Amino acid sequence: MLTKKQKRINWILVAVLLVLSVFFLFPVLWMLANSFKADAAITADMNSIAAFIPPAPSGNFFENYVSIITDTNFLRYMANTLLYAAILIVLSIVVNGLAGYALAKINFPFRDQWLMIIIMLLIVPTETVITIHFLIIAKAGLLNTIVGYILPLIVNPFNIYLFRQVFVSLPDDVYEAAQLDFCGPVKYFFTMVLPMSKTVVATVSVFTFLNVWNDYLWPSLVFTSSDLLTAQIGLNSITSNENTTMGQTLAVITLVTIPVIIIYSLFSKQIVEGVTSTGSKEG
Amino acid sequence: MSFIEFKNICKMYPGSDKNTVDNFNLDIEEKEFIAFVGPSGCGKSTTLRMIAGFEEITGGELYIDGKKVNEVAPRDRGIAMVFQNYALYPHMTVEKNIGYGLKNMKMPADQIKKKVDWAIDILGLEEYRYRKPKNLSGGQRQRVALGRAIVKNQKVFLMDEPLSNLDAKLRVSMRTEISKLHRELGATTIYVTHDQVEAMTMADRIVIMKDGVIQQVGKPMELYDHPKNQFVAGFIGSPQMNFFDVTVSGNTVKFADGNTITLSEGTTKRLNGRQGQMVLGIRGEDIKMDAQNMDLNRDNRQHAVITDTEVMGNENNLYFNFGGTQAVARVSKYEISQIGDGIDFVFMPSKMHFFDKETGINYTEEV
Amino acid sequence: MKKKNSIMGMAFFGPALVLLTIFLFLPMLLTFGFSFTDYFALNPELTHFVGLENYIDIFKDELFVQSFLNTVKFVIIIVPLQCGGALLLALAINKAAHCKKYFKVAFFVPVVMSLAVVSTLWMQIYSPEGILNTLLANFGIDAQPFIHSADQALPSIAIMSVWQGVGYQMIIFLGGLQNINPALYEAAEMDHASAWQKFKDITLPELKPLCIFVFITVTIGAFRMLVQPMVMTGGGPDHSTYTIVYDIYETGTVNWEMGLASTMAIVFTVFVVILTIIQNVLTKDKEGRKHVNKKAKAN
Repeated sequence: MLTKKQKRINWILVAVLLVLSVFFLFPVLWMLANSFKADAAITADMNSIAAFIPPAPSGNFFENYVSIITDTNFLRYMANTLLYAAILIVLSIVVNGLAGYALAKINFPFRDQWLMIIIMLLIVPTETVITIHFLIIAKAGLLNTIVGYILPLIVNPFNIYLFRQVFVSLPDDVYEAAQLDFCGPVKYFFTMVLPMSKTVVATVSVFTFLNVWNDYLWPSLVFTSSDLLTAQIGLNSITSNENTTMGQTLAVITLVTIPVIIIYSLFSKQIVEGVTSTGSKEG
Repeated sequence: MSFIEFKNICKMYPGSDKNTVDNFNLDIEEKEFIAFVGPSGCGKSTTLRMIAGFEEITGGELYIDGKKVNEVAPRDRGIAMVFQNYALYPHMTVEKNIGYGLKNMKMPADQIKKKVDWAIDILGLEEYRYRKPKNLSGGQRQRVALGRAIVKNQKVFLMDEPLSNLDAKLRVSMRTEISKLHRELGATTIYVTHDQVEAMTMADRIVIMKDGVIQQVGKPMELYDHPKNQFVAGFIGSPQMNFFDVTVSGNTVKFADGNTITLSEGTTKRLNGRQGQMVLGIRGEDIKMDAQNMDLNRDNRQHAVITDTEVMGNENNLYFNFGGTQAVARVSKYEISQIGDGIDFVFMPSKMHFFDKETGINYTEEV
Repeated sequence: MKKKNSIMGMAFFGPALVLLTIFLFLPMLLTFGFSFTDYFALNPELTHFVGLENYIDIFKDELFVQSFLNTVKFVIIIVPLQCGGALLLALAINKAAHCKKYFKVAFFVPVVMSLAVVSTLWMQIYSPEGILNTLLANFGIDAQPFIHSADQALPSIAIMSVWQGVGYQMIIFLGGLQNINPALYEAAEMDHASAWQKFKDITLPELKPLCIFVFITVTIGAFRMLVQPMVMTGGGPDHSTYTIVYDIYETGTVNWEMGLASTMAIVFTVFVVILTIIQNVLTKDKEGRKHVNKKAKAN
């Protein structure tokens, strides 16, 4: 039910947004199209629309990908990262979720003070402690181990806060009903609270995955053995190699991006919810 | 010893200097259906939650089946509860909701199934068996909550305003259903409500509370006919009992607008010689307009003009100004009057209550 | 009951508390302690207490001062572009009657890509024979050095960062816009409000808390700039894209001068926290003043 004037404005808006969206997507499209090309073709196509069109399928269509997969450990790095992400998702849901539940529903001593501290931690720039993390992990003899990589990443004030905000609005009578159904607090948390809060669990999972998958600094410090490297570090070591072609570089970064895009398309609802909730905490 | 015994139960919330529930004493017999009724904030829900163990008992002793349970965890008190907002497990189907407690009791699966089938059958939930709570109507959710309570074979049922979220029609039918369940299962039931109609229609005995204090305990008709104080008299019954400020001298009652009636010998006797300012209470149906009663009490005939009517079909409420306040009479459907009509009426002498103006004590019920 | 609560509370909160202590509270304390020493991670035995020396040294350190100034430049370019851009995008998408879903995805795609990927990708785009220069040549513009010149590297990286991050704040604003009660607009329509009045009197006030939040988070985010220059330019050319966090990171984990790095971290943290407080106070103050004005008018 738009008036004529509103219709015209709408079309102008849509047109402007379409142009802008091209600006946001073209690097990605260019990356994808050229990851199938040899360097010569990339340079030759640069000046035309062909820069955004993949080459015709041929025998060596996947050449860049094949050389990455066969000549480097990149698939291994991707598998490593998936494993780390899976472990961290489980641990962060349990540890941060339990903490969030305590802050939301259990009346233990100094609860409100702890909540204040968690909120304050949200504004402190915590990445400056990464060097100390390194010292601690090194002192503990955990460099180059999965445990050493994972330990500092489990607890996350933001996730605790996110869980707390969701759990605080869970009805108390369900907990009381569960008590009368012989369900203890720990069982209640795992069989009731988490299933009742699927959205925040999914949000935390997705964000944990994205953080692990996209993290660059911490794995580059803690891992030196090439067996344990994550995809981002592998990516950097491959692309900074003199012998890597531009096509291969684009193939690697496409490979790194594929899981993220898959996750995003599957869980865009949870991601949007998570992003929006970061905003609503102040609003 | 009674099945549930309250001995001077008190509840004081931290930071408060007043008891929310004050010196609550009550004996409940096995298989009894007891209703706690009172306005919101009267302490009825708090008392119920103390029985359940969700609220700490800050004074007194509570016994269930001869065992002191002050320090016993809710799950070990042998109770089942139906919550005001149903408190169903949102991610479980109807069947799982009902069987959850049994599963946690480590009951074998085939027995669980038998019990759940039984509950689903008597509550008529068969076609909703695999639905989740969000796909059920209010009444169906209420049934699931009931099912969850009855399968566990507990000896005590606690119900916290279970019907308050249902629409009026459903409330009436669930009332009969709960009563029926109670008759069939015979579990001791404590039912909290703010709705006196629910209490009157369902309970064996009613406990009326106000400001944390029991006002009166008794069978429904006892409370209706013999309220111990003005609060009980006003709380039970709809439309509310009429109250008039009056002055009694000898056997004459003088109303604020100057009208007088003469008390019968029996009523004067019930007043036990009390004189002066008090509150006269009489129920709408005890204000009579039929020829027989008018004739019987012809000396005390009064006259008023109808200001408003409520037509309900089976009976009608007529509102009129009398005695310096608005009064209501309940008349049969054959005694139809219009706004503006004049009416003559009499108060049934034996149905008049006289309350103390300050304390509200019913003089006419003192023994 | 109370005792039961404290046992249960600690059982639930305990695991997080242990990890928080080891990986946040302890590091923060250590950072604070180290900042008064010349702790050298490769030779910890020779650590001395040096008082405030580090705090004086870092402000004499030209590189630190430069990295500080660079960071401020990043902030100045990124904050208005990213906040304003996100708001405009959200308003436009919210208003657009077509392709809403596509727009939401298109502008958000860069957000989910990693900083390392985006940086590597844009290195190719910014390269001397890259697609950007090829495009410019079509418009008759000479090839630009972009990240290979001390003048252009910083703005180039800043613009890339906005490109990458703006979608996140856009989604936040979109959420805020959708939360505004439509009845407000309907009421305004009945009151004959123009489009501009609706925006000024309903949309902006309703979005204000979000604007403050976005402003603060984008500012802090820009102050934390590290991976992009690390991958793209190594802080160069001529340290023109070297940032505070980069300096902290290199001083600590490349040169192992933990004392100095800790001092920088403390200065940085204090700076960011103060900034957050100032932003909070300023935005709150305005609201307070407005309120007073309104009251004065009413009288």
